[in-house]
Amino acid sequence: MDGFTLVLWAARLLFLALIYLFLARVIRALLRDLRAATREPVDRHGRLIVLESPGGEPMVGRSFGLDVITPLGRDVNNAIVIDDAFASADHAVLTYRGQSWYVEDLGSTNGSYVNGLRVDGVAPFGFGDELQIGEVRMRLERANR
Amino acid sequence: MLGSHEGRQPIGRATVHVAIVVSLGFVLLAVAAGYWGVIAAADLVRSPSDAAVIAASRTVPRGLIRDRAGKILADNKLDPNGEMYRVYAGKAISQVIGYASSVYGRAGLERAYDAELTGLTDDPLTDALAKFGADRYDPKDLSLSLSNELQKAGVAALGKRRGAVVMLDPRNGDVLALASTPTYDASGIADPTTARDTFEAIQADPDLPLLPRATLGRYVPGSVFKIVTAIAALGSGAINATTTYEEQPGSEKRGLLVEGFRVRDGHHPSTGSTALDLIGATEVSCNIYYALAGLDTGGKDLVAYANRMGFGSPLPFDLPTAVSQVTNGDGPEPGGFTDDVELANASYGQAEAFVTPLQMALVAATVANDGELMRPRLVTAITGERDGTTAVAPGSMGRILSVADARDINAAMVRAVEGALGQQFTTGAKVPGVTTAGKSGTAELGGSGEPHSWFIGFAPAEDPTIAIAVLVEQSGRGGEVAAPIAGDLMTLYLQGLR
Amino acid sequence: MTVVATDGRTLDGLTGVLRRIRPRPRWLEFRLLALVAFAVVAGSFSLALTVDGRFGLYDVGATVLFLVALAVAHLAQVLAGRRTDQILLPAVAMLGGISLLLMQRLPQDLVHQTILGVPLGLAEVQLVWLLSGLAIATTLGIVVRSDLWLRRYKYTWAAVGVGLLLLTFLFGTELNGQRLTLQIGPIAGQPSELLKVILVVFLAGYLSENRSLLVQQDSWIGPLRMPPLPYLAPMVAMWAIALGIVVVQRDLGAALLFFGVFLAMLYVATGRISLVIIGLILFVLGSALMAVLFQHVRTRVDIWIDPFADPLGAGYQVVQALHAFARGGLLGVGLGAGLPEIGGVIPIPEVHTDFPLAALGEELGMVGVIAILGLYLVVIERGMRIGAAAADDFRSLLAIGLSLVIGVQAFIIAAGNLKVLPLTGVTLPFISYGGSSILVNSLVVGLLLALSDKGVEPPPAPRVGSRWRRLRRSGVA
Repeated sequence: MDGFTLVLWAARLLFLALIYLFLARVIRALLRDLRAATREPVDRHGRLIVLESPGGEPMVGRSFGLDVITPLGRDVNNAIVIDDAFASADHAVLTYRGQSWYVEDLGSTNGSYVNGLRVDGVAPFGFGDELQIGEVRMRLERANR
Repeated sequence: MLGSHEGRQPIGRATVHVAIVVSLGFVLLAVAAGYWGVIAAADLVRSPSDAAVIAASRTVPRGLIRDRAGKILADNKLDPNGEMYRVYAGKAISQVIGYASSVYGRAGLERAYDAELTGLTDDPLTDALAKFGADRYDPKDLSLSLSNELQKAGVAALGKRRGAVVMLDPRNGDVLALASTPTYDASGIADPTTARDTFEAIQADPDLPLLPRATLGRYVPGSVFKIVTAIAALGSGAINATTTYEEQPGSEKRGLLVEGFRVRDGHHPSTGSTALDLIGATEVSCNIYYALAGLDTGGKDLVAYANRMGFGSPLPFDLPTAVSQVTNGDGPEPGGFTDDVELANASYGQAEAFVTPLQMALVAATVANDGELMRPRLVTAITGERDGTTAVAPGSMGRILSVADARDINAAMVRAVEGALGQQFTTGAKVPGVTTAGKSGTAELGGSGEPHSWFIGFAPAEDPTIAIAVLVEQSGRGGEVAAPIAGDLMTLYLQGLR
Repeated sequence: MTVVATDGRTLDGLTGVLRRIRPRPRWLEFRLLALVAFAVVAGSFSLALTVDGRFGLYDVGATVLFLVALAVAHLAQVLAGRRTDQILLPAVAMLGGISLLLMQRLPQDLVHQTILGVPLGLAEVQLVWLLSGLAIATTLGIVVRSDLWLRRYKYTWAAVGVGLLLLTFLFGTELNGQRLTLQIGPIAGQPSELLKVILVVFLAGYLSENRSLLVQQDSWIGPLRMPPLPYLAPMVAMWAIALGIVVVQRDLGAALLFFGVFLAMLYVATGRISLVIIGLILFVLGSALMAVLFQHVRTRVDIWIDPFADPLGAGYQVVQALHAFARGGLLGVGLGAGLPEIGGVIPIPEVHTDFPLAALGEELGMVGVIAILGLYLVVIERGMRIGAAAADDFRSLLAIGLSLVIGVQAFIIAAGNLKVLPLTGVTLPFISYGGSSILVNSLVVGLLLALSDKGVEPPPAPRVGSRWRRLRRSGVA
């Protein structure tokens, strides 16, 4: 086999090899992505940490595990009872949909605030965001961390 | 939970299912790619429908085909466009060599040896390397055992009649002639300018010139099949050369009653009421004797011996062959016979027995070669530039029967040609000055038209160098038509025509 | 009351987009694109060696243009700073690169087209399409931040789709017995290509809205529990549309594609295998009916069952494709070394549209074919992952449906080339020659990119408030 044929061979195989190298890199990235996905909690709902609560109900530092629909308000039937003068009876509801949390203000008198912005109807509520109802401030966190 | 969430499955799980199904689909495609690209590839890349093979056939010269004397039977010519086409040495060889046409594909040896003649290697590594080199093709020449002269003589002897002549050297299986008539103009098909007209005319011919009768024609054998019965009967020990049947002479008049059905035979007045032995029965071609011998042998052994000589499957040959049969094989009796009536009739070559002329030549060759059957050999050597010459050695299909048994049948067949009574059935089969053995056959076709005329034989009987089978379609009694053709051709051969 | 906040941010237009631009590196994409570039250069080098016997790139201009376009697409995405998928685009770029090499290697006179007064050959036209496709995918991946325009107007889209189908039926030009091409002024295209995207958008909308109803099983058909019958209407409609496509357009491939994608999406949305079984039964009945009624369907099936019965006539193309795979063997004959010309004509007439996989099978071998199949699987996997990680059902179904459009189409035509299925005239996404195909598939990739952004607009929030209050009152919760 002469030199030219060798180069021809090499170029041909290099092309195929590069496609496979590409595939290998892609598959590595895919696997890493999948592994990261499986590490994510199966129960992804999250929890609400009380940061500030002048009224003492809820207690500062308390952590509430969240259901996909978690109502908040002064009424005792709420999952999270907020005993605050500025809170309405059915104040707001947290809903988990798809992969995100949302705050829906149920027409409260004094409104709900996410990161200081008043919620007009429904607002997305990300992990690390702060929700303020009356004078109670709470932060959304992932369930297991 | 709210109503809208009730009973909902997570989308994720169904997605995984769909992904699995789709992946399996792609795995199936990968398997298919492997199948076509690797497993089926070996055959596909040599098939005449492959584009590379088609392209090569137009530009790369095909290998030459030579007869046993070195005469070129298939050659190449360049057309004005610089594309190659084939020319052949005469019409006589058309059904053997076939044709290689850019329009109508391949036939005959041109088809069977297309890969070699085109020059595609069969070594995958060389193949892979050749893909990068300039020349992928190493066309190989074929040397045949065929004698163009004998072939032409065979075709000339058949004349305008439809038929076939097969001549073999029984000692090594060399096929010396494999003539079929009518012939056709293979060069006309191969030449692109005349291909269409020639081919369409040939196809419209009701005599089917494209059919190589010697290998692909299936015919009722008639009495030539008695040699098969004799081989099976002697080989299995059911009879010996001196076996006689007392009921035989009487049955000739009344018919032999088998399961209520009468096997009839014309009376042989010359033999009177003598019970015939093998030699006598063969000399006068006694149906009753052979029916009885066949019944004694039994369907199982009859079929088994026939199959050892090549019945029941395509022959191990360079060209495709039709399958010869003793019976349809779908009956309940041993060997697949429907009943003893069929067995009795098959034993003298009627009922459901169908044979090719080549197969009958092999039967003659078996007896001629003292019971050992040599594989029929057409291509004797393949010569290529890269690999030199590869000779194809003669091969044996095995010992069919003992030398002594073969000699007994040999003697019977000599009597059928040389005997005072036998001569009447095989007029003209004798080679002057040489002891000749043979058997004629008249294959009745059930009332419609003339019977097929058959003859099989060999010479010289003491040390045979030529075995022959002649079939002439619907031409009359075997002794009258086929036998003289065989005698003439064997004479030519023994006089040295090659 | 609800979505003003979300809407407002999308609709405040360019300034809003620009304000939020924060360049974000995309190293994975960069590395993968670099590999694509190396592969394309190596392929071009190998092509030049094989065809011209010289060292260098086969077509320097086209190769450089393609690579520059990849770089621009990458840079644009980096600058846009969105957290979109980084694998999808390189995978598609690899397929596009392979396409470019294949088109360069085929006889250029297979296609004559004049674009802006410049007469172009096969590879040049294909390059134009590939670059346009890249632009579309990248632009959509950067710009689209809301899915409302798709989500809200699903019935409008469905109407547009049916309209396209009708237009094709009425005014389409017939080619090879198929009525596929629609010419409007100077622009000709194959509406069924766009139709498949519209179909997915509609189905994603319909199914995500009616998921809960479709999984209820309160009626029975034989042994199968069924959802309320009125909700089966779209299924029957789909079946009718698929059959209509076969009858009207004689386009078996598109019908197969539509129905396949539909069944997959239905299954994803409901998780009910019974629906799929019913769909398959309908499909088999429909196919049998087609085979009985239409000669062209029967011919296709006959060829599929035994193409070698008439290797020089009806089965010619399929047989030649199989021969091409066979000649390729394990490693292929090399780019540019395959497809022997018979009297100056390549053996597979429609190689650039219907049989590119066969040509690649010959030149890259079984190993190359499996790599290409792998690339499609990567695209599908990305789409599925994007769907699984999407914020809500609509986006999930949309992403899954879109990736299936590419995947199932690739499967159908590859299977046709490999005699796994009867041959149908759909294109091999991103590889086959053809503007409609490349542009629409790029549109799909663009949408997938946009959907993959984890920081994208959240979907419109569910309006649970009122219902919640109602339930509270009735004492359920």
